Amino acid sequence: MRILLDKFSKSFGSTKVIEDMDLEVGSGEMLALLGPSGCGKSTTLFAVCGIHRPTAGRILFGDRDVTNLPSQERNVGVVFQSYALYPHMTVEENIGFPLMVKRVAAADIKKQVADIAALVHIEDLLGRRPAQLSGGQQQRVALARALIRRPDVLLLDEPLANLDAKLRLEMRSEIRRLQKETGITAILVTHDQVEAMSMCDRIAIMKSGEIVQIATPSQMYNDPRTSFVASFLGNPPISLLKGKAEQGAFVLGENGLRLPLAALSGIPDGTALSLGVRPEHFGTAGGVPVEGRVVFAETQGRENLYDVVLPDGSVLRSIQPVRDDVKPGDSVRWNLDSASTFVFAEDGQRL
Amino acid sequence: MIAPAAVMIFLFFLMPVVLTAIFAMTNMSTATGISGGVWQVTQGAVNRLKADMPELASGIAEPRFVIDEEGLAALEALKLKAGFTAELRTSHMGEVFPSRREAERVIKALKDRPSTREVKQISDLFNRSVLNTRFETRDELMASLKRLGFTLTPAEQETVAKATYTGWVWTTENFRIIANSPDMAQIFLNTAFYVSVTLLVFNVSYALFLAITTHYMPASTASIFRAIWLLPRITPVVIYVLMWKWLTWDSGFISMFMGQFGYPPKNYLLDSAYNAWFFVILINGFIGASMGMLVFSSAIKAIPQAHFHASEVDGASRWQQVRHIILPQLRWPILFVTCYQTLSLLASFNEILLSTRGGPGKATEVWSLAAYHTALQNYTGNLEYGLGAAMALVLVVVGIVLSLIYLRIFRYDTLISKPLIED
Ligand SMILES: Nc1ncnc2c1ncn2[C@@H]1O[C@H](COP(=O)(O)OP(=O)(O)OP(=O)(O)O)[C@@H](O)[C@H]1O
Ligand SMILES: [Mg+2]
Repeated sequence: MRILLDKFSKSFGSTKVIEDMDLEVGSGEMLALLGPSGCGKSTTLFAVCGIHRPTAGRILFGDRDVTNLPSQERNVGVVFQSYALYPHMTVEENIGFPLMVKRVAAADIKKQVADIAALVHIEDLLGRRPAQLSGGQQQRVALARALIRRPDVLLLDEPLANLDAKLRLEMRSEIRRLQKETGITAILVTHDQVEAMSMCDRIAIMKSGEIVQIATPSQMYNDPRTSFVASFLGNPPISLLKGKAEQGAFVLGENGLRLPLAALSGIPDGTALSLGVRPEHFGTAGGVPVEGRVVFAETQGRENLYDVVLPDGSVLRSIQPVRDDVKPGDSVRWNLDSASTFVFAEDGQRL
Repeated sequence: MIAPAAVMIFLFFLMPVVLTAIFAMTNMSTATGISGGVWQVTQGAVNRLKADMPELASGIAEPRFVIDEEGLAALEALKLKAGFTAELRTSHMGEVFPSRREAERVIKALKDRPSTREVKQISDLFNRSVLNTRFETRDELMASLKRLGFTLTPAEQETVAKATYTGWVWTTENFRIIANSPDMAQIFLNTAFYVSVTLLVFNVSYALFLAITTHYMPASTASIFRAIWLLPRITPVVIYVLMWKWLTWDSGFISMFMGQFGYPPKNYLLDSAYNAWFFVILINGFIGASMGMLVFSSAIKAIPQAHFHASEVDGASRWQQVRHIILPQLRWPILFVTCYQTLSLLASFNEILLSTRGGPGKATEVWSLAAYHTALQNYTGNLEYGLGAAMALVLVVVGIVLSLIYLRIFRYDTLISKPLIED
């Protein structure tokens, strides 16, 4: 079912958290709400599920206006960041709770709980209480509880934040599998860009209550609209160099690097700019040679990560296949793939 | 650090209970005093003896006159006619007269003809009645009885000594009185009624109601409500009860209000047992509910917000939220309040004392108030410390037993072995 936020605004007292947000999530789509802490992701999610009432604007599920419906009548499943499992109930009672409050017959509940528990692989934990489960198991229980009502919409608020790295990987694909199997429309709130990119069809990047850009992960990565988006996506993150425009080229410091770029035609000389270079676009391949000194080297197993200080003091990050001929302190002359760089105006807009 | 704590515990916590237990096993009262006593054949003692030794009882109740050496010596000291002494010694020595009249007939018949005044004077000297005479020791009493012509076996002596002793003695009589007296049974029922109704209706249910309704209010409104509900608790009890009295007096608010409809003014508090109970429970209930409300409110606050959000999203109505999310997580606070309030309702009687004094009649007399009346404050003036202590001891035992039952019912073991809040 499609979700539409139409000029949605939310303030708490005098603090405006979100103003005039428009957002559409297609039926069966999984969308990530990605942004730094405090930008209003949870607030948006809580408005969709009805815990918060919007201050202004409309929320539509399909064509139905649910703006003023209480949570109970919206048929949404939510996985809370803390899971919010009821501590005094067993796993079975937790999962069956949404059916129990609808007064479904006990035998029916039992059967449906068994089905959904099999789907998330927790069949043998049904008799336990939440306190007797690992974080990952609790997460599955929360997911099962959110799914058992066959909700129109599934909302996940940083569901993986509490898990260790390995479990997080597992659960990522698990949740995506379930979402695809059930064909449910889902919104995933996260501040982890890897999570957003690997799990979702589209990403909406938020910054202080606004959506900066909505796109598929690869569009977003390859064509960021602002420097904020560019620096939010990618791990290790993009390097941003501060420089100036000079005759259609990006110039770094006095007599420093000079990079002619098509995007800069028509930009007056002296305009302050920043240049975004992703680590994979600075290394052995590429057309523009850049000299500098390695100040930091780190191996990540398959790849090595280097920080290179340029003569003017700015830093470029580079990621390369493992090699052991470069140590911190070495001077290097590596190449920059100028076609893959992004230039941003001073206000962060891409040029 | 253990030594001072142990001393404190002993002095202030164990000693009172131990002393109560000790007092409970005695018949101490104003009459016996709390130190030793004497042996005295009081009318009461005679009554006590009637059952076992009717002959002796009626015998010692009567005055007795005995012509003995002691009396003769006293008569000589009076310096009346020497003939009196001589004749009494030779002709009547050792005679016992069961009444003054008989003794005086003999004295009057003496050859030296005593005047009527002298007859009276002489007979007094031979009066050996034990009724109301104090004997400092048991042996003096026995010797005196022997002189009167009562020869008693050691077992009989024991009975007599017991019956005439005026000091306190060790006894389990108090508990027999408590177990058998219909008054006590009525007081027991009163207490059970008072404690259970106040506890269930106000201290738990009403407190829960307040805590839950304030939970669903906006924060600022809720704190105003809580502050108002706390007033009965923080008002000095004397003043608080006085306000209820103003309300219920014959010239009070209720009377005035009912007067509008033509009802004659009356004291609504003491007018009938039904009304007295109604107000006693209200007075105590409003004080008790405020504590439960505080405990329950803070316990509800401790439930993570996410549980409420989650249950709403899961489709639970307010009532279902209360029933399935709030109440199950309040098990421990409910146990605590139930236990604590049971004990305090059992033990405290100041509100009742200040409002109805247990009246009308003994309609609102509860156990602790009865113990207070028995041991420390009553109209007859005979304060029965022993019986009062026994009643207090019963209260302690009932309190302990009830606490154990509560722990059972609320399955205390599961409460402490598993953490309740976990996410
Ligand atoms: N009940 C509230 N009253 C006042 N301000 C609030 C309230 N809830 C949230 N806010 C504010 O709204 C802003 C957005 O909060 P929100 O919880 O949506 O952030 P978020 O994007 O989910 O952050 P995080 O990643 O840390 O969870 C924050 O600045 C927060 O302080
Ligand atoms: Mg959040």
